[in-house]
Amino acid sequence: MSIEEQYRTRAKELLSGGAVKMVIGYGKGSNAKRRRPIFISSADEVERLVLDDACITNLSGYLVSEGLLSDEKRVAVFLRPEGIRAINILAAESQLDAEQIVIFGFDVAGNEVTALKGINVEEFSDIIDSIKEGAPEAAEEELFEKIEKMSPQERFSFWQKEFAKCIKCYACRQACPMCYCRRCIVDSNQPQWVNTSSHTLGNFEWNIVRAFHLSGRCVECGNCDRACPVNIPLRLINHRMAEEVLGAFDHFAGTSKTQEPVLASFKKDDSETFIL
Amino acid sequence: MSETFEPEIIAFVCTYCTYAGADLAGTSRLKYAPNVRIIRLPCTGRISPMFILKALQKGADGVLISGCHPGDCHFTHGNYHARRRWMVFRALLDFIGIPPERIKYSWISAAEGVKFAEFINSVTEDIRKLGPFEQYTHLIEQTQAPASL
Repeated sequence: MSIEEQYRTRAKELLSGGAVKMVIGYGKGSNAKRRRPIFISSADEVERLVLDDACITNLSGYLVSEGLLSDEKRVAVFLRPEGIRAINILAAESQLDAEQIVIFGFDVAGNEVTALKGINVEEFSDIIDSIKEGAPEAAEEELFEKIEKMSPQERFSFWQKEFAKCIKCYACRQACPMCYCRRCIVDSNQPQWVNTSSHTLGNFEWNIVRAFHLSGRCVECGNCDRACPVNIPLRLINHRMAEEVLGAFDHFAGTSKTQEPVLASFKKDDSETFIL
Repeated sequence: MSETFEPEIIAFVCTYCTYAGADLAGTSRLKYAPNVRIIRLPCTGRISPMFILKALQKGADGVLISGCHPGDCHFTHGNYHARRRWMVFRALLDFIGIPPERIKYSWISAAEGVKFAEFINSVTEDIRKLGPFEQYTHLIEQTQAPASL
């Protein structure tokens, strides 16, 4: 039985037995290569679920939709390892109760889909630890290294060119499971921290603050990158931040649901070299 | 154009240590560069990275941040939180291409009036050598015209 079939059967059992009130998964998209999130609440609909190598979106963000989990019923969700890490972070930041989440874990290598064993988020800790050990590379490693080697002026010019394209649609924010603030810093206007017009200056500020707020929290699922209508390589900045917190604080985002958020904690011997 | 460049520097300091240190520098009649505008905050933990960006947005050539030495925070650990934040923020600015040399950090206690005066002088001199932050000034100028796509 294929994983898709297995998971459909499991979803059917859970829904018909009332163990979960909803299954968040992938359905057919606008073409053969695209998948779109679907929200199933009756057992008859499980045939709509699709699971293949085109299922790349991190669906964990839907779990923090207003009111979804407030009735304390359980919700099942299809997640790749990044998504499972995101659940850990959301739980650590008290945005959801991990007990309410039933995980349909899977991973994609090449075009082969493999199932990840487990239901509760704790059961995946070995997988997450092995990802940390593997020191994941940036999505576009070549470009990333090229940027690292540039002089500050060149880097500034590179990002200036990229950010000049930004239209401040905030799709990156909407797509991100970690951007759950009811009131984002760019929505506040007293004071107005970031210019609302799409001048490059404000675009710089927006992208800097976005990356900063995701430091030590980003799981590099790539939702922001794929959502960006002008293809700014946002993931590279997030990757740089992930590298920084891993190197400086040995912090890998989302290893457990009790992990302390890296910028809300400290060690007395955090070592830096730049404070005079 | 033989006139020397006078940088504008914004200093965010904590009221319990560095601001008191600045006071001491004043009452000790120490002379230091007049290029720094001090903004007093309750704690270094109160210094949001947005403050730094705002200072740059308003045309500052450099930003200076200072507070109590580790272990001396009036609120016991505000400066430890701040330190982590700066470490990450500094790496981020570097990756974006904003030279980390324009943003200086230090620990200055209430007793270190001399260190304060010296620090201001050395930062002013460093930023003067770097010159105006032209790449950023260019972006600021662009905001005078309507945004184009």
